[in-house]
Order: sequence, then structure tokens, then C-alpha cells
Amino acid sequence: MSSKTTFIGAVEIGTSKVTALVGEYTGREIVIIGCGECSSRGVIKGSVVDYRAATECTHSALEIAEKDANERVDHVYLAQTGGHLEGFYNEASLNVKAADNMIEMDDIRTVCDLAKAKDLPLGRMVVHNIRRPFRVDGRLVPTSPENLVGQRLEVGYWTVHGQEQRLADNIHVIRGFNLEVRELVLSSLASGHMVTSMEERQNGVLAIDIGAGTTDYVLYRNGAPHTTGVVAVGGGHFTNDISIGLRLTEGQAEKLKVRFGRAVVQARDRNEKVWLDGNFAIGDRQFSRHAIESVTSARAWELLEVVRKKLGHAFSQETCAGGVVLTGGAAKLPAIAECAAKVFSAPARLGEAPSWVTENLRDPGYHTALGILYYGVSSLGDSGTATRRKGGFLRNVSRLFAST
Amino acid sequence: MPETRSWREIPQQVGSRAMSGEGRRRVAMGAMRAVMGFFAIGLVSWGAWEMSAVLRDKPDSLLDAAKSDRVRSLVLITDGVLDKNWLAKTLSIPADATLIGLDLSELHSRLMADSQVASAAIDRNFPDKLTVRISERSPVARMMAQAGGDPPSMLLVSRDGVAFSGTGFDPAMVATLPWIDGVRLSRSGKAFGPVDGMKSVSDLLATAKLEAEELYRTWQVISLGRLATDGEIEVFTRDGMKVVFGAREDFLRQIARLDLLVDSNTDPTRPIRTVNLALGPQVPVTYGIAAPTLAEPPVNTMGARSAQPVIAFPSSSSIHIDVKREL
Repeated sequence: MSSKTTFIGAVEIGTSKVTALVGEYTGREIVIIGCGECSSRGVIKGSVVDYRAATECTHSALEIAEKDANERVDHVYLAQTGGHLEGFYNEASLNVKAADNMIEMDDIRTVCDLAKAKDLPLGRMVVHNIRRPFRVDGRLVPTSPENLVGQRLEVGYWTVHGQEQRLADNIHVIRGFNLEVRELVLSSLASGHMVTSMEERQNGVLAIDIGAGTTDYVLYRNGAPHTTGVVAVGGGHFTNDISIGLRLTEGQAEKLKVRFGRAVVQARDRNEKVWLDGNFAIGDRQFSRHAIESVTSARAWELLEVVRKKLGHAFSQETCAGGVVLTGGAAKLPAIAECAAKVFSAPARLGEAPSWVTENLRDPGYHTALGILYYGVSSLGDSGTATRRKGGFLRNVSRLFAST
Repeated sequence: MPETRSWREIPQQVGSRAMSGEGRRRVAMGAMRAVMGFFAIGLVSWGAWEMSAVLRDKPDSLLDAAKSDRVRSLVLITDGVLDKNWLAKTLSIPADATLIGLDLSELHSRLMADSQVASAAIDRNFPDKLTVRISERSPVARMMAQAGGDPPSMLLVSRDGVAFSGTGFDPAMVATLPWIDGVRLSRSGKAFGPVDGMKSVSDLLATAKLEAEELYRTWQVISLGRLATDGEIEVFTRDGMKVVFGAREDFLRQIARLDLLVDSNTDPTRPIRTVNLALGPQVPVTYGIAAPTLAEPPVNTMGARSAQPVIAFPSSSSIHIDVKREL
């Protein structure tokens, strides 16, 4: 083990469950050493609506994860989702100052500052500034253009911003555990980073994370995030539709959705019936399988259609050779990939965690939490990490003061 | 250029009211650790400051503090015969010596200077007790040695061949030990080096004492003069008989043959003069008329001095000495 070790907590406060992971970061690699999970309360469509309830379940998940890891978390990377998150694209360009047209760091800094500088409406705050590749005289430069020769330098930023109060609510839930939120990570970026490969991101791919209350998506082009977005519709709405359409409680509807729901109608026989419980007990009822499939498939189609429309011209078969990758708890709905392929007219598949992820964390429901750790650490690099030396006296003393 | 606001500007301070029980507990633990950290740092700083002040102003006071406990009790734990007088003489601890000021290494050297002591361990038992634990050598034979111009003196020889003066042994017991002859002692520091071949002699004596005690009682001198060259041990008895044992043969078998010979000789006018048991089944025996006796034990003349240390102990000492015997 390296002498510098940080214990990072990754927390996703979702609509159906709160997930917390503990990663041991040594400066070069991160190892997941603890996992905690708790049913979510006080959260609707990714936003905290009951502070006390959300705090209790989040802290329970963190406690379980810390006990599992047998270590105390130093700080937290927090997943961010919700309908309040929006994005816009802004770009800037400048003429290279040097007489020999060689681009200097000062040019890069200036054009980046220009591209990021845009007034936001009152009460909005930037969550992410995602840089797209530089262009030098129209030529694409995926990395730094320093020392390249050109007359005109251009860069664009996809800026994600959110409502201040909702961001603060999420942060305060973590602070209530006396932990610092070191980084906010968009859920779409986190899960997209986990289920897509570098090659797919280079060729263009759309990652859609269908959660219980929201659907987050990220479109990658040229190896970098191009567009992100959140649709305030998720798997919970599938359940709600079944509940209303078939006049069932939410629990019964959820049971039917999990057992018989499909994203594409398969049942040919409209008279085919399925039992609610299947135990022939009093109160057990029969429902048309076709009806259930019709409800779930219609909602799945509609959801994916909304995503396609929000992407607009940004998504096309030509620019997204990698197709569509689906993840999230609701992506377990059978035939969802088939449905996505039809909606986007592109190849679609279910996202899988990389092979090194252990079996108990391979469920799509963990992709976001896993992605928070890996995306957060990789985006910070070495400079952005606060490290502590295990057993270092001065470091421990400073931690004591910091924790107060 | 317009300034955009980042989420990092959101203050992360929350009041204790907004914290959960676990959060408050973590804050309390953190505060407690901080206080303890401050306290520990303060304590260490104060100690360092006090120490530096003492070293600067009164450096001797630290040593004075160490001298404060005088040795009031000496405890000897032994498996042999040495007693408190021997211990007091050997250690020669001054009456005003403090327990912390004793040089245990020096005291250990004094104990080990007496060859009767096989091993020794000394422990300080604060505040004022010194415990000495020793293991003693027990004698299997004795010999006369003359060091320089000194008169000949008797030394005892242990099973491992170490010769020592023998303090505290019962004279009656010592008188039963056979004499050793035909050996040459060498100096080893202030004491004598081990006697060569004593292991074989010890085995012979032990076997005889155990299996034929009547015979053993008559043995007066054991000569090792031919042990190194011929592998033979010569035993002279009080009634003038000479018995030759083969060091390479089984002693039990040889003693059994000797016992048979002595028992079978019932004629008092023809006493056995010599028996040679070193030749295997063939045992030459010679008979005589009169049996000579050895009036004086052989004297080993060597240019060696007595190894017994003579150390004075102050008569005014008020140290209490306890002796415990270990079996």
C-alpha cells in the first residue's frame, strides 16, 4: 500500500435507493472496500423534498459502507441528478497573439475563460463545465493545443447548471454526517463513464441511465462528453402507469412490472392472463399480459422518444457509431435495448460494468456510484486529491482540527 | 467578463440542528480528539520545558533522584549449598549502595568468578530488594592442587570437570569423594580450566555408586594418567587393590565383573592385588599377601593460585539477606 491513502465516499441519493461506496485511493488506483445501501425516503425525482427522511437513509447507507470498509470516509463525491439540471453550449475563439502563430498557454487560458464566461439566471449555479476538443484553424485537437501553430483558436464548453437550493439541499444532507462534499458528479457522466469504452466514446455513443425517478443521458463525441441532460421520468413512472391503468396499489404494480413488464409488446394473445401473486390466495387476481406489456412499452417508447427529441440533431447515426448503451435500475426491463434501437434507429445494448468490477457490484443499479468514484478520481488527477498519510502524526492532528 | 457562480460557493457549514445523531457524534468525537490533541501537545511541551529547565539548572538532581533507594534486602535463590555469608562476601555491596546505582554486570562477574557457580541471574526488585538466583555445581571427586609457593589445597571437581574450592559442603560428604590423580590443571583466567576426561570418570563413579555402592565406598584414588594414552582409568582402593577400567567399555558390565571377582574371593590370605577389566571378557587378576594403604592423597603440583575470591564485606552493613533453596 502506498503511504498516501484517501478514503473516498461515493454517494448516490436516488429516488428508490441510496447507494454509498467507499474507495481506497492511493494516488494511482482506487479500490472499492465498502458498500452500503438503503431504501430511499424523502427524495422525489432526484430532489430532496424531506430533509430529515433523506438524511436518515443517506446516513444509514454511509454508516453501513464505513462499517463494511472498516475505515472512516475522508470526503464524499456526490452524484447529482434531477430535473432542475440544464445545460447549454457556449464557445469562444481568439486570434493567436504570438508573431510566429505558436499557441501559448496564455492563449489557451484566455479562450477557455471566454468560453466559460456566461451569465446564468439568478439562483443558478454551475455544476460542470465540460470542455469539447479545441480547434485550431478548424482542425480538431483532442488534447492541448500548446505549441501548435495556427491563427485562430476555438473551444466550446457544455455547461451544466442547476438550481442553487436543490444543490445545497443535497450537499447539506452529506454535511449532516460531518463529511465534506469534495466533488459533484453528474449521474449521467458517472454511469456513462462506466458502461462505455474509450473507443465507443471516441466514435460517438449515447449512454442512457434510467433510474427510478429520472433518466440521465450523456452523448459522447470525439472521446469527450458532448451533451448531457436529465428527463424527470424514470422506472417509477412505469409503475405509476400500471397502477393507474390496472387500478392497483403501487406495490402490486411494481410486482407486475418486474415480473411481466416489457419494453416491446411480445404477447400475441390478448386474452392471455397472468396472476398478480400466483399463489391462488384470496385477493389474487388475473390481468392481461398484453395490457401490462402495452403500458410499459408505451412508457418506455415515450421516454426514449423524449430523450431523442432533446438531443435533436446532436445525435445521428453518422456521429454515433457506438449506438446507444442503456443502464440504470429500469434498464433491466426486458427488451429495452430493442425498444431503444427502434427509437434511435441505431444499435443499442445494455451496459455492463467492466470485468474488474466484483460480482456483487455488477448490477446496473451500482453503475452510477461506481462511476462517481472513477470519473471523480480521473477528472481530479493527482493535483485535485487531498491525501493523508496513514498514521502520520501531523496529518492526523490536522484532520482532527479539520473535522471540527 | 461575467463571473459565473459555481456550486463550490455553496457554504458547507451546517448547524448541529441539521445534523443526524451520527453526524453530531462525529463532530463531538472530532472536538474531543482536537482537545486531546491540544492537551497531549501541551503536556509534551510542558514536560520538555521542565526537563530542559532541570538539565540547565540542576543536572545532578536527576542522578540524585536515582540514588534515593538504598539496598535493604538481598535474596539468594540457589539449588546448592551456598549461603548468605558467601553471597555477602562475594557481592561486597557497600552499605549505602542504592538499588539503581548497582552495576549488575559487575556483580554478575563477581558471582561467576567462583567456579562453584554454574549460572547466575540478578534482578532488581524495587524499591530496595536485590534478588540473586544461582545454579551451583555439585562435586563428584576431589583433588589436591598447589598453586605457586602456596601450600597444597583441596579442590572439588564437578561432573563437567570444573575444579572449585567448594564452599559450604558438608565435610563428611566431602570425605566420601574419591581423589583424582594423574591430571594436569591449566589456568583459565583467574580460575582453573576443566579437567580432561572427567566425563568418563563421572560416568564410572555414577555407575559404581548406583550399582555397587559397597565397592564404591572402598575407592580412594582415581588415576587418569593413562586415560588419554591407553583409554584406561585406574582405581586404587583403600585396601590396596588396583582396578583398571576400560574407558571405551561398558562400565556397568565391568563393575559387575569386579563385583563377582571380589565376592568370589573368600580367602583372606590371598587378597586381590590387581584386576584389569579393560581387556574385555579376559580379566587378569593378581593376588598378594599384604595390602598397602595410601596414607596421603596425591598432591597435584601446578603453578596455579587459588581461585577463591576473598572480598571483604563491611561489618556495619544492615542489609537483610534471605536464602531460598530450589530442589
